[in-house]
Formats: sequence, structure tokens, C-alpha cells
Amino acid sequence: MALLTTITGRLSQAFLLLLVMSLIGFIGIHSVGNPVYNVVNIETATPEDIRRATELLGLDQPLWRQYVVFVQNLATGSFGTSYIYHLPAFDLVLSKLPATLELAVGAIVIATIAGTGLGLLAVTRPGTLIDRIVVTATVFALSVPSFWLSMMLILAGAVMTGWFPPGGRGSTVEVLGGDWSFLTADGLKHLVLPTLALAIPNVALIARLARAGTVEVKKTDFVRFCIAKGLSGRRILFRHALPNISLPIITIVGLQFGGMLAFAVVVETIFAWPGVGKLLIDSIQLLDRPVVMATLTFISIAFVALNALVDLLYAVLDPRVRISA
Amino acid sequence: MTIENSEIPPLDVRNLTLQHHGASGTTTIVRDVSFVLGRGEVLGIIGESGAGKSTIGNAVIGLLGAGFEQSSGTVRVNGTAIETLTASKRHALRGRTIASIFQDHTSSLDPLMTVGAQLSETISTIFPDLPGTGVRQRALELLQRVGIPDPNGRYHSYPHQLSGGQRQRVVIAIALAGSPSIIVADEPTSALDATVQKQILRVLRGLVEETGLSLLLITHDMSVIAEIADSVLVMKDGEVIEHNATAALLDNPQNAYTRSLLSAVPRLRLSHEAPAIGQGGPDEEAAQCDEASEADGPVLVVENLSKTFGNHGLQALFGIGSATFALRNVSLQLRRGGVLGIVGESGSGKSTIGRILAGLETGSADKVVMNGRVCDVGSRGRSGGLLGRIQMVFQDPASSLNPRLTVAETLMECVRFTARTEHDRHPSRVTETVERLGLSKVLLTRYPHQLSGGQKQRVCIARALLAGPEIMIADEPTSALDVSVQAEILALLKQAVSERNLSMIFISHDLAVVQDICDAVCVMKDGRIEDYGASDFIFGRSDNPYTRHLINARPKIFTL
Repeated sequence: MALLTTITGRLSQAFLLLLVMSLIGFIGIHSVGNPVYNVVNIETATPEDIRRATELLGLDQPLWRQYVVFVQNLATGSFGTSYIYHLPAFDLVLSKLPATLELAVGAIVIATIAGTGLGLLAVTRPGTLIDRIVVTATVFALSVPSFWLSMMLILAGAVMTGWFPPGGRGSTVEVLGGDWSFLTADGLKHLVLPTLALAIPNVALIARLARAGTVEVKKTDFVRFCIAKGLSGRRILFRHALPNISLPIITIVGLQFGGMLAFAVVVETIFAWPGVGKLLIDSIQLLDRPVVMATLTFISIAFVALNALVDLLYAVLDPRVRISA
Repeated sequence: MTIENSEIPPLDVRNLTLQHHGASGTTTIVRDVSFVLGRGEVLGIIGESGAGKSTIGNAVIGLLGAGFEQSSGTVRVNGTAIETLTASKRHALRGRTIASIFQDHTSSLDPLMTVGAQLSETISTIFPDLPGTGVRQRALELLQRVGIPDPNGRYHSYPHQLSGGQRQRVVIAIALAGSPSIIVADEPTSALDATVQKQILRVLRGLVEETGLSLLLITHDMSVIAEIADSVLVMKDGEVIEHNATAALLDNPQNAYTRSLLSAVPRLRLSHEAPAIGQGGPDEEAAQCDEASEADGPVLVVENLSKTFGNHGLQALFGIGSATFALRNVSLQLRRGGVLGIVGESGSGKSTIGRILAGLETGSADKVVMNGRVCDVGSRGRSGGLLGRIQMVFQDPASSLNPRLTVAETLMECVRFTARTEHDRHPSRVTETVERLGLSKVLLTRYPHQLSGGQKQRVCIARALLAGPEIMIADEPTSALDVSVQAEILALLKQAVSERNLSMIFISHDLAVVQDICDAVCVMKDGRIEDYGASDFIFGRSDNPYTRHLINARPKIFTL
């Protein structure tokens, strides 16, 4: 009963979110400019060509009618055809998804493991050199802009040493209808630098979170009680402190992962990595409304799903949430 | 059970001095303390906050916090001076030779792990060779031993699913896991109701007598000492003031401080000859009491106040699921200028009444009338006529003051928002009120963390009084304070009631305090009124079994 209420609530929230997002996206793109000038060849087109193109795209209709048509098409499962690429818009988004997914998953896995590890490493040696290095380095990693970090990685990892290629996806393999880089040796090499560029700020974020969380947990009575009852420091750290600090970490991981799916634009651009974020920015510049709407919808759904997943993990980890949810 | 044991005592502390090195220099927390804890003996260390008693306990467990140092003296456990041991050898003592029980049962257990797992991990740490089934069997035995009903079912419960008393029993079971010879218990029952406290103390006493373990009991509560300790160490400002067998100390305290500590404990008068007012039931008697004393009617009338929890949304709409009543048909009256005590154990709904009346929670009622004005308890907040007329004083003064505001700022804020006339708004009212409550004007510029607990509670009372209330609701206002401070705060509340024509609802679990300050008492149990009447009637002649049960939970020594 409670579960059903929760799910119904979630779905209606998601629906509302999609509605609001689509309205804002629609009006936003409309106010940026007229896409028809990107569709026709501006140098050779006659006014008649432009009029015909405008009619063909339905841009002569009032905005509310265009939106109604958009929603009607959506009901049949179609976001329309890209003005530029002349492909179904959602297929276009899906074709970019493997590139984004392998990048984001790799980065978030590295960030979670390395971040938690570094945080715990620092917190078990308070005041030592390691602790201070972690604290200082994480501030640095969080402060540098993403483009600078990416360029430094290219400089160090590609230009100076030649270990890794400076950009592109390398060779890919087609599995489940998508092209994946991480399944080939060459592709993996191409993945390393952009993954690091995305991971490093998140390693820092999670390390700080893990360190601060453990400092707090260590002050609690139950940790003191664990010491008093004779448990080893290692067991207290991994069996008691870690589960207790994992709740805020999971929240951050969920949010950051969603962000990487959608907004890793800077890294994707610098490393010429054809992902979803790059597609979104390109489409906005070209006023390719079907693709923008399809991308935004995908991102919204991804965020809603990730949040639901985080809540589910919360319930798995924290018995107190299970009761109230 | 005597101190004259020829064998080596489990715990022998000699000339222990403990210092704290902080930003403001080095302070001596404990000075030259010596005591011996014999086998099968309970030694109580009593003192008010800041006396250094907990620090001694921490030194014995070896859990002195950062900045603390044992600057001289020795702590011998079974003859071995623990200062000379390496860190790993000291660690090996924990759980096996010395175990501990902390005060706060809500935070002593890991919230994310079942109590069974927490017990079992302790057992398998101490007995690494024991197979899994053996560990589980021993865990169940221990749960049984400390009186957990249905150990098999409870094994898989999480801490939040247990009551406070059960959680503390689990903590005791964990402490027992390694069959220790010494248990250091720091305020083991302070967070529990009197009746539960009595049960837990009985469990501890039973363990001491049956297994011969030694218990170092640290507490601020004389009744705990009276209940269980063989001998007592009275501490003040880090020094031992008096050390004697419990009976002797209670009968004939030698030191003036011990005497003041003992006399500050509020006592319940039982052999009281109640004046005969009416022969009817408690409710009629209360009503008669009201009529007799004041002609112009009660200042507060509550009829059939109820509150349910856990039933909302669709469930409530379709009437599915069972609602839990936090309050059920509570009716009471507050006489003008009277003090109505509401007593009960935790979960009885006594605080909920206060919170609903103050508008902090919502409830439903047939009728709530405050001084002739109808009050809508179905909504939070109080409109015009009632705003500021009802004020609260909470249990924990530390958390009911904004740490970023000075005392003057806190009080002026209250004055600004509740002032009804230009005269009300005048800053001199703040100074007057504060001085009337025995606080120096100097304190007005201080922040809450620079004040003592008693001073903070005075500020809270000043804040409530400055709003010019007609009704004051005090929810356990003295429970977080030392006994000596408790007496002062009670006197101030009494004075405020008589000087300002206030009426007060006084919520407390402490019968003696209620008897001291209240003229009518309402006994709550499971959200219902169990017993209700004039204070003399409740404590003198009520034959309600639950009221008798509460009265009997108090140690005999503190009843008159």
C-alpha cells in the first residue's frame, strides 16, 4: 500500500517535471531564433524556398499549436525528425548514448572508489602528511576549471608522454545496437583521459565527503561503544563507519552521475568525444528543436530514475527509512 | 561483597590526576582520586556536571578524548597498571576485562545494523574460535539474560525498533559478551523512565550478585546510588569530597556538599494527610477544587483532545489501516493562577498536549477555550488574540536558544514580536525581567555557549515571561539540570506564577517535582488520562493502580 502510494507519487512528479521542462525548452528554443535559416542554404535560397521550408517544418503555426503538435507526436512515440541530420531525433540521442554512458560510468566508478578510499585513508591518519595532502589536493581539484584540467591532462598524458591519444573515440565495437569504445584496446586508450577529466573533481568531492562524514561518525557514541566493546579499528571503519557515511555519498554520486550524462559538455568537446552533452549544445546552437527536446526529455527521465534509484538504495542501507517510506 | 578482600581487587585507582590541555591552557579535571573496586561490588561515583566523574570512567576504559592526559597516579586492573601497557594490550582489555555501558541508549548502537549482528560481532571478536551457531546461541543467551522478551525475534530487530529500555538491555548484553570482570556504566539509566530505570538497575544488580562482576557506576542521580551502590564516592570540581558505604552516606553525610546534594533531591511526601475536599471521583474533585479556589472560572478548558499518528493520505480517506492514538479524549482544566502537572512515562503523550496547546502540533478537540477565547487546535500558529498568550519552556535550554544570538538579542526579538503596548516594547523590561530571575545584567551580551545550564534555562524563562503570557507550558524544564540548579529553577517558576498571575502547565516525569510545584495533577498513560485530581489527592489517597505503580518506582529513601 505504502509502496504503491510512493510509486504513484513519483510517477506523477516525473510527469509534472517533464511537462514543465518541455514547456520551458519549447519556449526557450523558440525565443532564441528561427531555425529555418539553418535548414535552407541561406546564400541561394529564395524567399519562396524559405516560405516553403517554414510551412514544411510547421513553423508558420502559432507557438501553442506547434506545442500541441509536438505533444501529439510524442503520444505516438515520435520526437520528430532532426532539422539538420534528417534522422529521428530520439534515435540520434540514443546513438550518442553509449559514448556518454561509458564515459560517465567509468568516471563515477573511479570517483566513488578512489574518493572513498582517499577520504578513509586521510581520516585514519589525522594530522599526518597524507591527511594534509588529501585535504589540500581536493580543494585544488575542486577549484580548477574543467577545461584547464582537461588541457593539462592532454598535455601530460598525450603531448608530453604520448601514452594516450589526445581525443576521439578510437575503434569501437557494435553491441546491442550501440558503438562502444571500452571493448577494444584502442578505444580503452582513448577513454582514459576524458574519464580522468570527469572523475578527478568528483574524486575530490567524494573524498572530502567521506573524510568529513567519518570525522562526524567517529565522534558518535556508538563508535566509542564499538571501541569499548573491543572491536578492531579496521572493523569499526569498514563495518560501522562506512555504511553510515555511505548515505550522503550515494546522494552525491547519483546527482553527479546525472550531471555527467547531460552536462559533460566541456570535457566532451575538448576530447572530441561525441556524447549527449555535446549533441545538446550543438543542437541548441543550430536551433534543432526536435533534437533539443528529445535530449532534454532523456535527461529529465535519467534524473528522475537516478533519484528513485538513490532513494531505493537509501531504503536498502538504512532500516529507519524503510519504515517511514 | 566487602572491601576487605585479601585477593587483588579488579580495579584499584591510586592518586589519579587527569588534565586537559586545551586552547585556554591546561586544566585539571580530576585531582588525586583514589578508590578500590572489589569483586562483586558496586561503587557509585556521584557528582554534578563538570565534577570530572565521566573522565574517570573514560580513563579506566582507556577512552580519554584528545587533549586529555593522565598526569599522575595509577589505574590497576586485576593488579596490572594499565598506563604501562602498550596500546594493543590495552585494546585487548576492552570488552574482555573491562566493558562499558553508556548513557544514551539511542546513540550507543549502530542504527544500520541489527542488534543481533552487533551482539554477535562482539562475541566473535572476543571468541574468534567460536563457530557461527555457537556465537548465535550465546547471543540469544545474553539477550535472555538481560530480560529481552522473545530473543529470537528481537535478534533481527534494528535499534530504532526497540524501546529505550530494551535498547539499554541490548547494550548491557553487549557489555556482558566477553564475560568482563569490570563494567564501567556512565549514567546507564539517566535517559530512561523511572519504572524502566528500576528494571535496568535490577538487571545490573542481579548480574553483580550472580557473576561476581564489579560495577563502577557513574551518575548524577542519588536515587540510582540509593538503589544499587554498595559504596559511594562524592565528587566536586574534580576532587573526592566524601567516600563511604552507601547506607552510611545517605543516613549521615559528613560533608556539607554531600548534605546539600542530598537535600536538593526533591522528595515525595506520601504520609501526607490530605485535606478532605469532596468525596467523589478524581475528576469531580478536580472540578470542585477549581470552583472552590477561584470564582471566575478556569483559564483553560480542554475537552476531548485527541491526536492520531501514522494515518494520513489515502489510508485515512478509505479508513484503512489502524491509527495510533497519541492522545485520546483528553479533557482537563487549568485554574487561573494554578499549576497543573502532567506526569507520565515517555510515550504517554504528556508532551504532545503541551505542544498542541502551544500550536506546535495540530490535534482535534471538541472544545479548547483559553481565557474565554476559542482556540483552534486543528491549525498551527495562533491568531491575534492568542499570540504570545501561551508560552513554552523546553527541557533542553541549550538547544532552545539560537547559538548565534546574544541573550539580549534573543530577548529583544521576543519583545518586538509580542509587545502589545509601547510600554511593553521598552528595553528596560528586558533588564528588569532578567534581574528578577537572578541573572546579572552582564550576561545580556553573552552568547548561549558562554552560560551554564541553569543560566540558559533562566534565559528561556525570561523569554517566555517577556511575551506576557497568560499560560506558561513548561515541558520537563528541570530534567537536563543538576539537582541543586533544579531547585532554584523550580523556585523561580513558582515565584513567576504567583507574581504575574500566570497559570502553568508543568509537564514532568518526576513525581516529586510535580508534587512540589503543582496544585492539580493529571497522570497520563498511553495517550489517555489515567488519574486526575488535586495534587494532595493523587499523592495521598488515589488508589489508581498506575499512579501507585509510578509512586512505588521511586526509591523509598526519597519519599517522606
